[in-house]
Amino acid sequence: MSQLLEIKDLVAGVEGKSILKGLSLSVGKGEVHVILGPNGSGKSTLMNVIMGHPKYEVTGGSIAFEGESIEDLKTFERAKKGLFLSFQTPEEIPGITVENMLRTAKQAVTGEKVKVVPFRRELKSLMEELKMKPEYAQRYLNVGFSGGEKKRTEILQLLMLNPKLAMLDETDSGLDVDAVQIVSEGVAKFHNAENSCLIITHNTRILEKLKVDKVHVLMNGKIVEEGGPELIDDINRRGFTHILDGASEGK
Amino acid sequence: MEKNVFSRIPMRTWRWLGVNEARAPENIDSEIKNKQILVDRETEENLVLTHREAGSYEVQIHLEAGARLNLVLAQLTPSDAAYTCRVRAHVADGAEFSYTVVEAGAHETVTELYVDLAGKEAKADVWGLYLGDGDSRIDMNYIIRQEGRLTDANMQVRGALLGESQKVFRGTLDFLEGSTGSVGRENEEVMLLSPKVRNRSVPIMLSHEADVDGHHAVSVGKMDENKLFYLMSRGLDLAEAQRLVVEASFRPVIDRIGDEALRDEIDTFLMRRLANG
Amino acid sequence: MAEEFVPKKKTYVEDIERTLYDIRDEDRSVYKSHSGLTEDIIRDISKRKNDPEWMTEFRLKSLETYNNMPLPTWGPDLSELNMDEIVTYVQPDAKMTGNWQEVPEDIKNTFDRLGIPEAEQKQSLAGVGAQYDSEVVYHSIQEDLVKQGVIYTDMETALWEHGDIVKEYFMTLVPPKDHKFTALHGAVWSGGSFVYVPEGVHVEIPLQSYFRLNAAGAGQFEHTLIIVEKGASLHFIEGCSAPKYNVTNLHAGCVELFVKEGARLRYSTIENWSRNMMNLNTKRAIVEKDGIIEWVSGSFGSHVSCLYPCSILHGENARCEFTGVTFASKGQNLDTGASVIHAAPHTSANINTRTISKAGGAATYRSAVKVTRNAPFAKCSVNCESLMLDSESRSDTLPVMDIEGDEADIGHEAKIGRISDEAIFYLTSRGIDEEEARAMIVRGFVEPIAKELPLEYAVEMNNLVNIELEGTMG
Repeated sequence: MSQLLEIKDLVAGVEGKSILKGLSLSVGKGEVHVILGPNGSGKSTLMNVIMGHPKYEVTGGSIAFEGESIEDLKTFERAKKGLFLSFQTPEEIPGITVENMLRTAKQAVTGEKVKVVPFRRELKSLMEELKMKPEYAQRYLNVGFSGGEKKRTEILQLLMLNPKLAMLDETDSGLDVDAVQIVSEGVAKFHNAENSCLIITHNTRILEKLKVDKVHVLMNGKIVEEGGPELIDDINRRGFTHILDGASEGK
Repeated sequence: MEKNVFSRIPMRTWRWLGVNEARAPENIDSEIKNKQILVDRETEENLVLTHREAGSYEVQIHLEAGARLNLVLAQLTPSDAAYTCRVRAHVADGAEFSYTVVEAGAHETVTELYVDLAGKEAKADVWGLYLGDGDSRIDMNYIIRQEGRLTDANMQVRGALLGESQKVFRGTLDFLEGSTGSVGRENEEVMLLSPKVRNRSVPIMLSHEADVDGHHAVSVGKMDENKLFYLMSRGLDLAEAQRLVVEASFRPVIDRIGDEALRDEIDTFLMRRLANG
Repeated sequence: MAEEFVPKKKTYVEDIERTLYDIRDEDRSVYKSHSGLTEDIIRDISKRKNDPEWMTEFRLKSLETYNNMPLPTWGPDLSELNMDEIVTYVQPDAKMTGNWQEVPEDIKNTFDRLGIPEAEQKQSLAGVGAQYDSEVVYHSIQEDLVKQGVIYTDMETALWEHGDIVKEYFMTLVPPKDHKFTALHGAVWSGGSFVYVPEGVHVEIPLQSYFRLNAAGAGQFEHTLIIVEKGASLHFIEGCSAPKYNVTNLHAGCVELFVKEGARLRYSTIENWSRNMMNLNTKRAIVEKDGIIEWVSGSFGSHVSCLYPCSILHGENARCEFTGVTFASKGQNLDTGASVIHAAPHTSANINTRTISKAGGAATYRSAVKVTRNAPFAKCSVNCESLMLDSESRSDTLPVMDIEGDEADIGHEAKIGRISDEAIFYLTSRGIDEEEARAMIVRGFVEPIAKELPLEYAVEMNNLVNIELEGTMG
């Protein structure tokens, strides 16, 4: 059966500068994949490109989701297909409440009118699980939120919108131990055999409650090594440089 | 038109506020002391102008593409002087006009700064400082016109008013159509140190271009009481503590002056006025 | 023109293009002929309106002031104003059209899109017709209020039934000599509301003033006079959100608000004039000790607007809250803002505004904050944000702060910019399409103002924003 997400020889960049230089990667249904790589290797760019950020220009290769090419789709159309990005630095948007945004998004993604009472009930109970104060539903999106509150709001959206592929861009960075725990429980709650996760992280704690299927090492715009979960420990111990050395030796 | 109008704001407002135009002092020596500065393409120049005598000054600046000028203008005229100064700068592609101006002297100060960021990625970084004391009058009109794409304007002004001094500061950022991707910042901080001062601040922002990011802020008020209290708890009397707080707010402007001797002279000049105020 | 700027003996080098500024400073004194308005006409209006004698005198004096005053030299271009036509209009034999068929198509459409059902729509307009006479409009709530001693009536009735009060206050806060259009107002005013809330009375339900179009041509120059006595409170809603059809092209109304010691007045307006209107309205409040004036102001319609509600904080601890939103679209030049005069110790003010411009519209935020020497410990905080939806439009900010003394605490902040691409990306990444994402951001931008409005008005304001945005973005 075809992969949920299949990227082939992707070349992309911004303002004429190429960042992804022929990247290939696939994620199967029900799988959890982790992307590791040093700062500036192109991890966030990859996720933004998959989500269709207009700032990035794709100049080569292909991205398919459920066997269909999505390169020409607009961002909201990709979201409707079941893609989700948890942002590294979520935008602050004044005047739009968390609840309003989620209701609008849910309506857009499901294509059905959201019934207020069950929606509110679901929202309230998920916020409780994420240890968010209920009044945050009426606060403006991320405005004045702490780093941890922003990330929890991202996970809240993940759980409410229930996509097929969750891309988490350092959702655990800058959080204290308790917050990482809450976020990782949220991701674990989301994940099941019907959906997949693609996770950028520097922290293994978020992975504790998940079974990692595959690890990709991204350096200088390309996947330079792939392996099982053991690769995470390896990199934590030895850093990235030996992989780069190994890769260049391989040539 | 009225007589003696030296400079105007680019958009008029209510007359009763008296800010539409800056008037030249009645007794000004109107012979212009003119200075022209041309900075060649891709070169850099550092220049210090010190105005020690009363009168009318004018500085015309032309920065060619990629040029850079770091200009310091210190106005240290005697405390009974009438002074006007008009500075006009044309900034071409990729050029940068860095300007530090200290209005430390004079009884009447009327100045205009007009910067035209004409070229793509032209940049202006303007830092000004003024101190009013006695019955001195300071009247300033600064305009940065953002015409090119991706221009960058920064206007930072610090001031303190003592005695019965009066001051008007008008700062305009004008984003013209086509100035896409430009940013502009303007900030004025004024400390009011005597019940008889009058401060007028007019931060103007004009835009005919959607793709810009403009921001202006003004804060006018007394000194931070907590700061004063802290300093006094360390044994300073009120006047000393005030002097220190004013000095601290002037620091970012003064520190841009590379010439140590001039910096010391300005410091001495300002501190003397502060002590008398 | 450059010579004007320069001291005499100088040699001047024209090295910098000034054309732009010269254009903005152009002389607008073209319209000096206003001979159309004569003493006879004023006497005639006064007689027809059955004015008391002092009012006839007042009108004539105002006329004299009007004839001797120039047009303002600042602000939007008013050269389209044909004073003779306006003068002709105010002549007694002028007939105003109240005919639905003559309402411009776009206004009818706005009604439809506002979701007002057709039946109600007809009724509301016919209702306005039936209620041209202002006494009838609020009859139903009047009885409740009367029991509490509240007076709410039209200005003409007030002149006779409460003449002493009117005479004491009328155009004392906004004197005819204020500017040319207040002088005109003083001469030809007609219609409007008079509200008197006695000491200690709290009017719980907002009073609403619908626009009244009396056959005599009231409405263009309506006068609103509100007095809230010691410790009393009132919420007054002016204009409603329904677009107002008007045959003439000048609105020079006047609002005078007297907020006494410890009293509180909230004055809400949503204006959606049709696009042929010159809206030169003057609004002013004077607030005594511990009193509060709250302005909520939404400006959507008109061709040209000059609107800067002024608050004079006259008593110790008096307070002003100003919340405003302005949305300038095609063919509109909306020059709005506020002014605050701190004239007593410990007075405070908050000014919070949002302006949006699109499709060639021009929005200006203009304000004045004055702290007099009698107002130590004055506090004022101003926050204005502007959003531009395209580069055909203009957005200008021109605030002035004039502070005397050293015991003031004044902060001003302004921002100008556009909808950020990152915010759009964020929302679209959640499945919301681009047009909706933009609309959400614009609604979010005006939300701080919308939440100050009574619910029905907030909903209507959102609808107005949606109508304005529809089909213009993406």
